[in-house]
Formats: sequence, C-alpha cells, structure tokens
Amino acid sequence: MATITYDRTTRHYPGAEHPAVDGLRLDVADGEFLVLVGPSGCGKSTSLRMLAGLEDVDDGAIHIGSREVTHLAPRDRDIAMVFQNYALYPHMSVAGNMGFALRMAGMDRTEIADRVRNAARLLRIEEFLDRKPKELSGGQRQRVAMGRAIVREPQVFLMDEPLSNLDAKLRSSTRAQIAALQRRLGVTTVYVTHDQVEAMTMGDRVAVLDEGVLQQCDTPRALYDRPANAFVAGFTGSPAMNLPTAAFDADGASLGGTTVPLPREVLRAAEAEGAEILRVGLRPEALYLDTEGIPLTVELVEELGAEALCHGVVDTGDGDEERLVVRVDSRTPPRAGERVRVGFRTDEVHAFSALTGERLGD
Amino acid sequence: MSVLDTPNPRRAESAGQQEAVEQERRHASTKRSPREGSRSSPLDRTGTGTRVVILVVLGLALLWTLVPLVWMVLSSFKPATAITSAEPSWLFTPTGEHYAGLFTGGNELIPYLWHSVAAAGLSAVLSVVLGAPAGYGLARSEMRGKRHLSFWIISTRMAPIAAVVLPLFLMFRQLGLIDTIPGLVLAYMTFNLPFAIWLLSSFFSDLPPALEESALVEGCTRWQAFRHVALPLTKPGLVTTFVLCLVFAWNDYAFALVFSGPDSQTLPIAASQLVTQAGIDWGQLCAIGTFVVVPMMLAGLAVRRWLVTGLTLGAVTGE
Ligand SMILES: Nc1ncnc2c1ncn2[C@@H]1O[C@H](COP(=O)(O)OP(=O)(O)OP(=O)(O)O)[C@@H](O)[C@H]1O
Ligand SMILES: [Mg+2]
Repeated sequence: MATITYDRTTRHYPGAEHPAVDGLRLDVADGEFLVLVGPSGCGKSTSLRMLAGLEDVDDGAIHIGSREVTHLAPRDRDIAMVFQNYALYPHMSVAGNMGFALRMAGMDRTEIADRVRNAARLLRIEEFLDRKPKELSGGQRQRVAMGRAIVREPQVFLMDEPLSNLDAKLRSSTRAQIAALQRRLGVTTVYVTHDQVEAMTMGDRVAVLDEGVLQQCDTPRALYDRPANAFVAGFTGSPAMNLPTAAFDADGASLGGTTVPLPREVLRAAEAEGAEILRVGLRPEALYLDTEGIPLTVELVEELGAEALCHGVVDTGDGDEERLVVRVDSRTPPRAGERVRVGFRTDEVHAFSALTGERLGD
Repeated sequence: MSVLDTPNPRRAESAGQQEAVEQERRHASTKRSPREGSRSSPLDRTGTGTRVVILVVLGLALLWTLVPLVWMVLSSFKPATAITSAEPSWLFTPTGEHYAGLFTGGNELIPYLWHSVAAAGLSAVLSVVLGAPAGYGLARSEMRGKRHLSFWIISTRMAPIAAVVLPLFLMFRQLGLIDTIPGLVLAYMTFNLPFAIWLLSSFFSDLPPALEESALVEGCTRWQAFRHVALPLTKPGLVTTFVLCLVFAWNDYAFALVFSGPDSQTLPIAASQLVTQAGIDWGQLCAIGTFVVVPMMLAGLAVRRWLVTGLTLGAVTGE
C-alpha cells in the first residue's frame, strides 16, 4: 500500500507547442481511489503513463510511497496497469496472461496457480482460464485484464479508461464492481476516464484536468457543490451547468430583466476585476418552472422518462441571447415555442469571472 | 525465382499479429459495417466484366511463370533423345537416368547439395537471429533520423552484387575465407541481413506497443518484453523472413562463382559445370534445375498462407 505524489510533474513532448502535462501537483492517499478526468487530449493518459514509467518526466518528480520513482523503469515501480484495449497477450491463455508477471518474478509454479485461481474466482472467470483472449467477449476480456492486475498484489493500480470498450449497460455494472473490488482490496488506485459520470460515481476524489493543467481535485460532492472555475462547473454534472454571461449591479446579476441575487463579496470580487459582466452558474436542477422569474422561450424538450430537459433561450435585452437548460417534471413539460418563467434556488447560484473563469467569492 | 516475388512487408501479416492488430482496430472504431467485418476478397466486390479481365491477366501471368518450370521438370524425366528432338514431345516413357547420373560417376552431387544447404541455411538462420533484435530496435526506438537509417539499411540490399564482389573478394582473401562455407555465409549475409532487418522491423511495427508496455509494467526488461511478447507474436513473420532469405541464398550464383572452390561449391555451380566445351547435358541440367527449384517451391508454399493473410488483411482495411 502506498501514497502517490506528483510534484510539479511536467511532460513536454518533443516538438509540441504546449506541455501535455504542466506542473501537475497531486497527492493520492494510501488506499484512495483517485479519478483523473477531463476532455480528450487534456493529458490524462500522459499523467498516468508517467506514473507507470512508460513516459519520460521532463520536469518535477513522482513519488510512490517514500520512494522517488521519477526515472525508475516500469518494472521497478511495483504497479499494475489495466490498459484501455486490455493489451492481453494473444498468444497466452487467460491463465498464462494472469500468471505472466508472477512467472517473470520467478514465483513458484504452484503458488502462481493458486493466486491465479483465487483472482479468477473473485472475478468469476474461472471457466475461461484455458481460453485464449480472442475467444472471450469484451466484458470477459476486461475482467481478465483486471485479474492480471490483481494477482500481482501491487502497491498501486493504474487504469486507463478500462470501461470505454464496453456497452452502456455492462459499463455501469462493471463500474460498480471495480469500485467495490478496489475498496475491498484497499489498493491505491489512479483511474483515468473522460466520462464525468464514471468519475463522480467511482472516485473518492476526482482530479479535473484541462489542457495539461490541474483545475481542481476534490471529492465528487465538493466538485459539484463548489466548482473552482467555470471549466469544472461546466464539466461536472449531467446535463452541464448553465453558464450564461450577465451584467451585474449592486444587487446581483441581471438575466433577461430578472435579478439573480448574489452575495456581496461575489459582487465585490467581480468589481475588483474591473469587469462589467460575470458568468452566472445555474445547474439545470437548481432551476424550476414558476409564475415569475427569468423569461425563457422553449426551443426543445427532451423527455427522459422520470424527468424532462427543457432547452430554451433568454433574451438578454441587448440583442444577445443566452441558452438555459431546465430540469422539469416529465408529466407536465412545456411545449416547444412556449414562453415560460424560470425560478431558481438562490442558495445554488454560482458566479465565475467572465475574464478568468475563476470562481468569484467563496 | 518468380513464384516467390518479394512481398510487400506491410502486407505480409502474421496470424498472431493480425489478431493483435485486430484487437486494436476493434477498439478504434466501435461502429463497423458488416462489410468490413467479413473477410471478402477483392474479387467478390468487383463486377463480372472486371473479374473476367482479372482472371485472364492472372492466367497469363501464371502461364508465363509456370510453363518453363513445367517444361524443365518434364524434360528432366525424358530420355536424352526426346529432349533434343526438334518437335516437342508430350508422350514419352519417363526415365530416372538423369537423376541417377547426378549421383554417380564423376558428377557426385552430394557435396554440392551439402554446401548449398549449409551456406543458405546458415545465412538464413543468422539473418533471422540477428535481424529480429535489430528490426525490433528499429521499430521501437524513437531516435531522430530513424527513417533515414532504415532506408539506408534496405538500400544496401539494393546494391548490385557486382559492386560488392571485388571488395569482398579482397577482404575474404586476406581473411582466408575464400572457398569456405563461412565465407559464403558471410557473403550471403550482405544481402540477407538488411532484407531481414527491414522486413522484420515492419512486422514489429505492426504490433500494438501496448502489449510490450504491459509486459514492461509486469516486470519485464525491454529484452524480456521482446523475447516473451513481441517475438512469439511475430513467429509467422520470422518464418516468412527465414524462407525468403533461404531462397535468396539458395539461388545465388554470382557469389558462389567468385568465392567458392572445390570445398564449397553450391548447386547452381554444379549446374553450370554441366555446360562444358564437350556439350550440354540437357537431361542432367533439367534434373539439377528441378532439384534446385522444387525444395524452394515447397518452402514457398509453406509460407504462402501468411503472405496471403497479409494480402487479404490489406483488402479489408482498404489500404
Ligand atoms: N507520443 C506523443 N507525442 C506527441 N504528443 C503526444 C503524444 N502522446 C500524446 N500527445 C499529446 O499530448 C496531449 C495529451 O495526450 P493524452 O494522451 O495524455 O490525452 P488524454 O487526456 O489521455 O486524451 P484521451 O481522452 O483522448 O485519451 C495531447 O494533446 C496529445 O496530442
Ligand atoms: Mg487517453
């Protein structure tokens, strides 16, 4: 078991304009399940591969436990990795795949067989032990890849989008299984995904990356309740938070003639920037249809069964429009073209700088 | 020899490799049309008219290639009188006299055969043994100018034999390698090794790197990852390379003519010695020709499957 520390770790691919990972600082606690999430190309895989030793570190350091591993070979790091495409060895049976690392470590044959069988039982792949990877379904391969990682009892698990090749249903059940398995084994885990639902449901903490820079690392709850900037706000939650731009005065921000009240220190912070506008953060679930409030022209209603999502535009007065998504009751949804009023829960209003995107106030 | 034209290495795909590549491809695109999924040959997709043209062209090429071979094999079984007669004869009583003649009297063929097997076999083995690590290194290293290096290596294969014969001869004489099997092996390596490196490196490049990365994380050194993961997966590539190198060396005449002597003369030299001032023994010449060609044809048939797999893989991906 071990902690992991990224200490201003930087990777700059030769010839690239910007670093793929820029000064990453991150501490992972012993036994923690940390999820790295962000849009495609933000540097998640690069961060993970640096930790695995598969990618050079150009600047900064990485520690696993009390050891600095920055320039150690992958084999000396005591880690196990699950690859996106599983990377099962096609020429070995499932048992051969799972026992490979142990064989390389020179472990006793009977002990290898024992460990492989135990892991296979845990993952319910015992009956496939003699098969070749190509004779397995995608979900079974995924479990073999997990099994190959756990038989080694490493200090750290690394997983790079291990569920991205599964269909939606299998993905959600496997998601739960992996999370449960990790909790049971208590092995420190770094898990990469671009799917924010996966991130929010699986992680003890979630680190959000954008363009190689860490935006925020916190528990899913804190990420949702107090996003550090407009990027994180827009990335977490489904559907994403509405982030309309609005003018503000001493009372709050003005959206379509309605004043969205904001705390004094938020307004003061916005003023201190010298800006005349800010970005209001309103989650679809913080909005509701009302008799008064922000005027909204409905453009589209998405029926999702238990609820409906109402997409519409707000006329901000100066010829501009802002779009809003409102989560509404699916039994009485408005119709497209209808004009409705939208109320909001005042304690769930966020505000971000229109200039830097940083959160305003506390 | 024409049955075994140098294959395009990217197409010469191995079974294990193909599977790994396939795995990769499956993940790359979740949506595949059923067309792509099925292994249709290029012929299935074309119209009848085009198909007839293709078949005719292929048929002509086949005739062009096979007729001389078949004629040679037939002639090797004909009585001497039938060979030299003006009109071609299809009906004759087959005779083994030419073959028997090869192994009796002054034309003891066994030493030549042994020299050919030893020189060609050894050079093919060494080419694969040395070419595999070199090709792997070339495929996986990330140095600058890699493309230039790899082109330089294969360009040495393109050098005409006449250009290297003389310098090699001088060096071999200094080293006492003239008229020795090691000398011939070394000479054959000048064209076989670059070819093996180049061909194998393209086999290795087609392996998804994640497999070796996984091995590295699982406790392997680079060498072990090569040895336990990359190498077994390119086994068909190794066999293909071996057979092609074997064929090239087996068919060599120029090097053997210059470097070999009584202790190292190969089958093509034996064949040439049948052309004497006293005349040409066509029967024995055809017999020896058959003797040279048939083993290599069998070897070619043995690796055919992998060459063909490579070709159909190309057809599916539409490369
Ligand atoms: N080998 C490489 N050479 C040069 N640039 C690279 C290399 N690998 C990745 N990059 C670049 O580094 C950046 C980060 O890539 P990375 O693979 O870490 O993204 P990611 O967050 O994992 O994205 P995805 O979700 O698509 O997998 C990208 O801009 C990518 O183009
Ligand atoms: Mg990635």
